[in-house]
Amino acid sequence: MNQADITKLVSKLRIKVPPTHRRLRNPLGPEGRLNKLRKTVTGLIKYERIELNYNRADEARQYAERLISEAISHGDCHKPTMEIADFWLLEKELVHKLFKVLVPRFENSSSAFTKMYKAPKPAYARAIEKTILELKGNPYPSLTTRQPNNKLLLQNVLLDAAKYDYRQTKYAEIAEKMSTPEETKNPDS
Amino acid sequence: MIPRVCNVLNALKNFEKHVLQMFKYPPREFALAYDYDKPVQKTTKKFSLNDLIGDGFLLAVPKFRRTVEKRWKRKFGSPEYIWKMLVPKTNIIVCNKCGHYHENGRLCGNCYKIVEEETKEIQAKIQEKLGTNKPIENDVIVLYDGDQLPEKPQEFWQGKRVIEMKKERPKWFSKNLLQKTTQAPSDSKDVKPTDLA
Repeated sequence: MNQADITKLVSKLRIKVPPTHRRLRNPLGPEGRLNKLRKTVTGLIKYERIELNYNRADEARQYAERLISEAISHGDCHKPTMEIADFWLLEKELVHKLFKVLVPRFENSSSAFTKMYKAPKPAYARAIEKTILELKGNPYPSLTTRQPNNKLLLQNVLLDAAKYDYRQTKYAEIAEKMSTPEETKNPDS
Repeated sequence: MIPRVCNVLNALKNFEKHVLQMFKYPPREFALAYDYDKPVQKTTKKFSLNDLIGDGFLLAVPKFRRTVEKRWKRKFGSPEYIWKMLVPKTNIIVCNKCGHYHENGRLCGNCYKIVEEETKEIQAKIQEKLGTNKPIENDVIVLYDGDQLPEKPQEFWQGKRVIEMKKERPKWFSKNLLQKTTQAPSDSKDVKPTDLA
């Protein structure tokens, strides 16, 4: 009964986190792996949209999400959070960006802070899986377009209604045509 | 048994010939004259590859036959590992924006190339304006030539870095697709809503 509520100890990420981390082979071992990921997280916070290999992007994304969620939940007056930010952000001006720009941006968001897209692949070649990792709410042009043939779009709803009306009038006409000859035939017989 | 009998017969025949020759039979007039060559004694040499090849050299050749399975696997690959045959892709779709083909679940190559170029330009501009080692405290707003500042309260503009791109806004990177590019002059005094999207 005296167990601590785990959800309050660790921030719950809004992305899918695999059960084990990737090892990301590196001559320096686990330390080299972390150095690599620190560079990536720093780049993501700095540029807000970067293109990476899939494995590195997916791994760095988890750390970036965790960093932002920690920053949101504890603020910049919390020493451990500041230490985490200091560790993950190699360029120290980005620590300011994290607490003064990203925290207000994502404070009230209910979804993940980052988005990952699969990059286009050449048609006839063996190529490494590339992904585009970006922070949401960035100033760059959007990578996806809204589905133009969505049936819930206003134009499509109106067109459907117009089609329905047209069909109803046609049915009424046909019904009238079918009923009038019967009336004319009946008196003859 | 039979060879022995043959030998005895041969011996008898030889004896008969010699005896008859002693009495000059058959007579010499019936004989044929021909050159008799003494058979040359063959010199048997030991077989050696050097005689056969001389200055040339031998290529390595397969020693044993390869099985059909191995030959076919080399030729066509294996479906579980690497399948070398050409297989048609069934996950190709048409981009809704530009009409190019791309794989389902992936960004369109054509659209991404355009967006990537613009993104890099904006990123370079932001870095150039920011300089180095200055704390980043404000969010960024990108404005192109001819862009009108959105009408927002003064608080909105506080703490924003405005990045000006020295060019027209690309047509595909539109802020509001419902906005008309040309407007007919009108006398109505209704206030039109702006920045709906």
